[in-house]
Amino acid sequence: MDPIRIDPKRALDEAMRAQQKLAASFKTLREVEDVDYGATDKEAIYTEDKVVVYRYKGKGRPTAKAPLLICYALVNRPYMVDLQDDRSLVKNLLALGEDVYIIDWGYPDGGDRWLTLDDYINGYIRRCVDAVAKHAGVKKINLLGICQGGAFSLCFTALHQEKLQNLITMVTPVDFHTRDNMLSHWTRGMDVDLFVDTLGNVPADLMNWCYLTLKPVRLNQQKYVAMLDILDDKVELENFLRMEKWIFDSPDQAGEAFRQFIKDFYQGNKLVKGGLEIGGKPVSLKTITIPVLNIFAEQDHLVPPSASRPLGEHVGTKDYTQLAFKGGHIGIYVSGRAQREVPPAIHEWLAKRTK
Amino acid sequence: MAKGPDVTRAQDDWQKLSSQYWNAWNDATRKAFGVEAGAVEPGKAPWHEGLEQWSRMFDAGSARNVQSETVERLLAGARSYFALLQKLAEQGAGGKADPQAWTAAVRESFNFPGADAALFDNPLARAMRELAGHGAKGFEQMLETVQPAMRETRALLDLPAFGYAREHQEHYQRMAKAWLDYQHETNRYNALIARASRRAFEVFEDKLAERGEPGRQVDSVRGLYDLWVDAAEDAYAEIALSDEFREVYGALVNAQMRVRKHAQLEVEKVSNDLGIPTRTEIDSIGKRVHDLHRDAKDRGEHDADLRDEVAALRAEIEKLKGARPKAPRARKAAAKTTRATRKPAGEEKP
Repeated sequence: MDPIRIDPKRALDEAMRAQQKLAASFKTLREVEDVDYGATDKEAIYTEDKVVVYRYKGKGRPTAKAPLLICYALVNRPYMVDLQDDRSLVKNLLALGEDVYIIDWGYPDGGDRWLTLDDYINGYIRRCVDAVAKHAGVKKINLLGICQGGAFSLCFTALHQEKLQNLITMVTPVDFHTRDNMLSHWTRGMDVDLFVDTLGNVPADLMNWCYLTLKPVRLNQQKYVAMLDILDDKVELENFLRMEKWIFDSPDQAGEAFRQFIKDFYQGNKLVKGGLEIGGKPVSLKTITIPVLNIFAEQDHLVPPSASRPLGEHVGTKDYTQLAFKGGHIGIYVSGRAQREVPPAIHEWLAKRTK
Repeated sequence: MAKGPDVTRAQDDWQKLSSQYWNAWNDATRKAFGVEAGAVEPGKAPWHEGLEQWSRMFDAGSARNVQSETVERLLAGARSYFALLQKLAEQGAGGKADPQAWTAAVRESFNFPGADAALFDNPLARAMRELAGHGAKGFEQMLETVQPAMRETRALLDLPAFGYAREHQEHYQRMAKAWLDYQHETNRYNALIARASRRAFEVFEDKLAERGEPGRQVDSVRGLYDLWVDAAEDAYAEIALSDEFREVYGALVNAQMRVRKHAQLEVEKVSNDLGIPTRTEIDSIGKRVHDLHRDAKDRGEHDADLRDEVAALRAEIEKLKGARPKAPRARKAAAKTTRATRKPAGEEKP
């Protein structure tokens, strides 16, 4: 049987529709506003160098017993968790009564070239956690680490567990050497010393180029072909452009921290193999005994589920929960399904464990 | 294979519809984008002219500045899709049950007007080229600037250097060798991308063959395009996850870094001659500032700890001081004891 059964009329209509959308786009593309992001009001409660900790303002008083601090990755901007009114993990968590804070790492420049993982984990994160605890008037807080921020949060918890009640990791790489981890695969032949010594801080454009080449046709062609469908819809177009802005609004990476992250995590896989040290202090996941919730995305092309799933085997806690989300690395924050499933799962898990 | 009357009729219908469509599309293009009749160059497809006109509309005014990136990216993606639409409209009449024939039509669609002939048959390379960000563009521009130096020194690469300028000569020799290495590694990388593209067409054929089952047939051009994208990504992933790709990718990155490093050294040499601060000097200062900043933070935290400790000690002292009223009681107790002691002593009195 013929694998293709395209009705000629339908095909021609399809082409005509595409042309009409193109024509309509001239009007809509000129009408779209300069897209903004961030749906929820927030206030800065702590600043240090370029780092700012914000507390989100919900409509009512938080009912949670301890605040939740979100630790985002260095490689993208943290507003993905509060992208727009109907796509906001933060807004949904606030509505459920959580008291949500977030670390904004800012945009590192030449002055941050020498920041190490020790500076980030034992320095910034520790002081941010202290600042949140002080602001909320509690001794221990809950920490939610995302992607690279999740790996940082695991290290932080292993080193400073006494400051935390519960740890949540989202789309967090743990085992960096699984067979389907393309990004990790590519870094293994890199001379990262030469790379950082040459570039200093790693330019965001270079990082984005690398991410796009993980799926070059899908991310560089198919996505924009699909954009044809919404060219006559101002709201959808603004949503699309907002996401584009987030994807390409990326900070440069502090050189030394990048060097160590690639060497110890991507190349050495020390988080699971052992031998990891941050600031001269050994980091072992086995020392983590507080409750851990590990959420990962089943269609994640940046952090494959196989890289996140093994966390349970390596942490020392007896209270480990795993949640597989049907979606991708970004969809876990912005899809409609994510709005329905992820915030309640986090809230319910925390409510049972927070004192 | 001889075509039956049904197939011939289907082809006639398709061509008739197709002709109507192209006319309509031409009209729509003219109306929508203000292209004058006859402005479409002979040999150029109407979709192509439509896209070009569409992109030109953003040349004027502020719209270009605001949305030019979006327009460029959409154009890059849309060209492939529109080319596929046209190719299937021209060639996609009924009677092609063979996945190879459809694959050939898809392959041919990549050879659209204005496309780089070198990239025909290698859509993955095109996708890679189209996604080149500013960082990659900057590096290409940098390479152009160092090319004269490369040409200058290429002939001297293997000659021993001597005399007053020997250090400079050796530097240029190393730089040229790094550039040649980079070209070599780029070729190896491009060869793998070309292999992934070839493999993509094979995977596409397999995927098409799977769609021969009832209920799984592709029924739209977009569906066919999406299937092609799935095939291209699967083929690319096969190659990109191979040990060979890992080795080549690493070698390419390292080779590019060596070229950049040599270019930086060249800039530093010139800067030194002109008394301009260099990257090395700034890095050195930056490192010292960072270390000082870190020390200051550590000391600050240490001081805060000390302050807390002092505050705790002060509180303890205050607490002890607060216990002073007990002293009179102690004196009273002592007095009682004394009195008690005295009492017996008194008792000793007669």
